[in-house]
Amino acid sequence: MRFKTIAVFGILSLCSLIPAWGQGTTKIGVITSLTGSQAAFGEAHKNGYAIALDEINAKGGVLGKKVELDFYDDQSKPDQAVQGVSKLVDQDQVPVLLGSYSSESTKAIIGAVTQRETPLIIPTATADNVMDSKSPWVFRVCAGANDYAKATIAFLKANGAPKKMAIVYENTNFGQSNMKAMTAAAKEAGIELVAVESYEAKSPDYKAVLQRVKQANPDVIYYCSYLLDATTLMRQTREVDLNPKYYTSAGTGFAAAEFPTEKGAGKNADFTFSVSQWLPEAKWAGSKEFDAEYFKRFNSHPQYHAMQAYAALRVAAAAINNAKSLEPAKIRDAIKNINLTTTPFGPIKFENGQNQHPVLITQVQNGQYKVVFPADVAQAKPVIPAPVWSKR
Amino acid sequence: MVRFLQACADGLLTGALYALIGMGLALIFGVMRIVNFAHGAFLMVGMYATYVLFDSFKLNPYIGFLPAGVVLFIFGYLVYLLLIRPVRNRSHFMQILMTTGIGLILTDGAQLIFKADYRQTNIDLINRSVHIGPFGANAAEVLSFAIGIVFVVGLYFFVSRSLTGQALRAISQSPDVAPLMGINLTRIQGFSFALGTALAGVAGGLLLPRLYLFPGVGEDYTTKAFVMVVLGGMGSIEGAALGGLVLGLSESLTSLYIGNQWALIVDFVLFLLVLSFKPSGMFGRQRA
Repeated sequence: MRFKTIAVFGILSLCSLIPAWGQGTTKIGVITSLTGSQAAFGEAHKNGYAIALDEINAKGGVLGKKVELDFYDDQSKPDQAVQGVSKLVDQDQVPVLLGSYSSESTKAIIGAVTQRETPLIIPTATADNVMDSKSPWVFRVCAGANDYAKATIAFLKANGAPKKMAIVYENTNFGQSNMKAMTAAAKEAGIELVAVESYEAKSPDYKAVLQRVKQANPDVIYYCSYLLDATTLMRQTREVDLNPKYYTSAGTGFAAAEFPTEKGAGKNADFTFSVSQWLPEAKWAGSKEFDAEYFKRFNSHPQYHAMQAYAALRVAAAAINNAKSLEPAKIRDAIKNINLTTTPFGPIKFENGQNQHPVLITQVQNGQYKVVFPADVAQAKPVIPAPVWSKR
Repeated sequence: MVRFLQACADGLLTGALYALIGMGLALIFGVMRIVNFAHGAFLMVGMYATYVLFDSFKLNPYIGFLPAGVVLFIFGYLVYLLLIRPVRNRSHFMQILMTTGIGLILTDGAQLIFKADYRQTNIDLINRSVHIGPFGANAAEVLSFAIGIVFVVGLYFFVSRSLTGQALRAISQSPDVAPLMGINLTRIQGFSFALGTALAGVAGGLLLPRLYLFPGVGEDYTTKAFVMVVLGGMGSIEGAALGGLVLGLSESLTSLYIGNQWALIVDFVLFLLVLSFKPSGMFGRQRA
């Protein structure tokens, strides 16, 4: 009797370990920040994934089965992201992972996925150290901090070539990485760095930091910030009457959909430049359709974070189909060899795990993001210098 | 020199709100000897209460913080009756577990109800500034400061002059003897817990226009409140207020002269120094 009970339980629990079998779906693991300070971006991820998912399933899914996304919320915390790897890979046995949102959380999971020999596709982490490990299991869809810095410098050179720059960055992996990339790029371009200031997010007061920047009197400021702080930074830049000719930024908070609206920095966002990886107006086929579908579903226009999530899932699905298998190693090899020539995010192909993706420069003009660089895809002329605060 | 004075002014503007937060915690600690790890969560609830009034009834946060404070007062009283009173004579460990648990439930509850989206009240005032000579300040911050100071001074006089205030101090001096003198322990403890909670709520309401709101927003303030209370001498209400101002100043000056990333470090170094060398507090006062 007792033995039977144990046997039944044993078999039942074994069954629960076998994923997806007989359920007719293939699970793909997603780690992102659905809650916490970066939830705005996690939401964008989720929306982008949802659109890609429906598109893939409408075309028959992968290997003849529908795809199902297995989400893990890292609560915007790196340690939770690592927990996510163990939950999704060890317990749910997903063959491939997408995520996370932030550079901080993504950096934290590189070791865990490499150790478990599960391929990871990174949609949005721009810090270049996420690629430092040279792990053969890691692939990045987005451009990184070095690309951001180079694009910003190229833009500045072509538009007045300012001489003095200040960097204001959030003291996280994302901020530090972009600060380092810009420090190197500026040196190479012969731009003098007159101030390099870090700050801790969640503080209500950045005025002392901005006072230090004002003292240094830069022509350009390069901000590396998430949304929570980008709004406060711009408001307080106005308050301390700090007037550089250019407000440039490493995207992220300065490229979030809410940033130029009343929910974000509002009018204070005007004339700020940002790097961008994609906009609804991008030249790649399918961009407009993605924008339209996104607007229909979520009643707002997508920023590049949603598109990168979309692209990451497209890559995963294509790789599984190419691999004709759910074995992580085979999927990994398929991702290595993938060559998607037409996606709304442009062509996708990995070299040493990195997708070569061009970076655009946008400027907020009358509350709208406009592409201003490179010239061949520009929608508007950049307004330089930004008007001083007292004249706005 | 202008930069120094400006940074001092900015520090005091933030410091007045810190003072409110610190006084709330000191009140609870002084009267009940309970270390309230849910204090930051109460602040967060106050922010959400103010936010809901703003969002649903278009009530300006500078009016909305008052009803939010009242709501928090009632809420604090209920928390005391239902959760804190049963553990008031138990070990400190039990009390810490209880308040930490309350904090976690509140934070996750807010996440459940409001999602983790950041929110803000973009009131007109936040985009205006006040200029006096070479100095400038955000109008909303100045208003928060002024209201904060009124509460700080009001609370000080309440505790030192009123009959209830005397009862509060009597209990904090001798929780065993005070009831023998005809002071109703449960009533006074419940009142002070509710008042401490309401102060956190008011501070939250006043902080809302100048900060973002999300469920985890209070976490940092719990730790900062401990620093203030220790700076001011544990349980001393006016000491905690001064501790709040000192903390605001030190953060602002550290940011200006050393760098913002050092601000929290300096906070905690101050905390450790005071704990090690002057445990009665920076100002050397006895508890209230």
